[in-house]
Amino acid sequence: MVKCSYCSKPAVYISKADGKAYCAKHFIEYFDRKVRRTIRRYGLFSKKEHIVVAVSGGKDSLSLLHYLMRLAKKVPTWKISALLINEGIKGYREYTIKDFLDFINDYKDIDYKIVSFKEEFGATLDEIVRIGKKKGLPYLPCSYCGVFRRYLLNKVAREMGATVLATAHNLDDVIQTYLMNIIKNSWDKIARLSPTTGSAKHPKFVRKVKPFFEVLEKETTLYAILNNIYPKHFVECPYAQTNIRWTIRKQLNELEERMPGTKYGLLQSLLTSLNLLKRSGREVVELSTCKVCGEPSSHDICRACMFRMELGMIRSI
Amino acid sequence: MIVRVRIIDGREFQVKFEGCDVRVKDVLKKLKLSSEEYVVVKSGNVVTEEDGVSDGDELILYPVVSGG
Repeated sequence: MVKCSYCSKPAVYISKADGKAYCAKHFIEYFDRKVRRTIRRYGLFSKKEHIVVAVSGGKDSLSLLHYLMRLAKKVPTWKISALLINEGIKGYREYTIKDFLDFINDYKDIDYKIVSFKEEFGATLDEIVRIGKKKGLPYLPCSYCGVFRRYLLNKVAREMGATVLATAHNLDDVIQTYLMNIIKNSWDKIARLSPTTGSAKHPKFVRKVKPFFEVLEKETTLYAILNNIYPKHFVECPYAQTNIRWTIRKQLNELEERMPGTKYGLLQSLLTSLNLLKRSGREVVELSTCKVCGEPSSHDICRACMFRMELGMIRSI
Repeated sequence: MIVRVRIIDGREFQVKFEGCDVRVKDVLKKLKLSSEEYVVVKSGNVVTEEDGVSDGDELILYPVVSGG
């Protein structure tokens, strides 16, 4: 039996970064220290905040909601709400919504909202993918999903009165996106990978933060299991394997197993890139207003409206 | 010795080993699974990849990687 490096209890986790073993109690303390350090280091939250947590019903977002609700007990000037976007993915999203509602059932005092693509755009993601294929559009399901989901998260969080939107992106998510954008040579997108989108200025833009920026996906999973909030339904998005992220994730996990420290190394590389981008002035995201919907956009017409025009869901201008 | 493995996505395996000095990571390796991608529970407790396993043990694997 492997023993905790801090007490004699059985270990549940060995950190490959420093070789230390942690029992359940000391792992939770380690996890808490890591997240608090990120919050402090990058100034993610102020004393008074209405934090809307973007949730999917998966282990990462339930862990984030659980973590922030615990932390908010010590900060009475914080309000925590949850926002779930139902894209309309048959055989997947209905189960994760159930997991989210089961979780929420234990916290009667939390406000939450579920908003669907169908209500907001007139079509589910499954229908959008079918329309796109019929029209011969070159986009993958994850492209529509990401654009429409980000659009609604910003819009609805603002309508809920959010001062900040917290997403459960973890270290693995962040470095996967970093690698994907290195491959595409998309440095503007890399500039948006910082733990807080503090530099984007627009009256309708809600600041986004990633409190799990320095936490490994394995650690959020363990946090969920130890807190008994790991979702009951194990379901995978039917579109996930169409995304290059799936391959990069597999390769990175193999690399980490052979070369422990790879993931932390890539995170350091990202931080160096962000620093260089900041110095070159490319970190500042200039936002204007979409001519069609009035939402914040980095172009004259936002990506969500562009997609809707191409799909024939709104009239082209 | 035989170790049973159940992944909560529904997959089940039986893994046979010669000898008795076997660790969780050996079981995962034999199944070509990465220890980066699973949290392992034995007898209701989370264990590390360095923990030993015995004949008749059942390991329950919680996937770290979920598509979503």
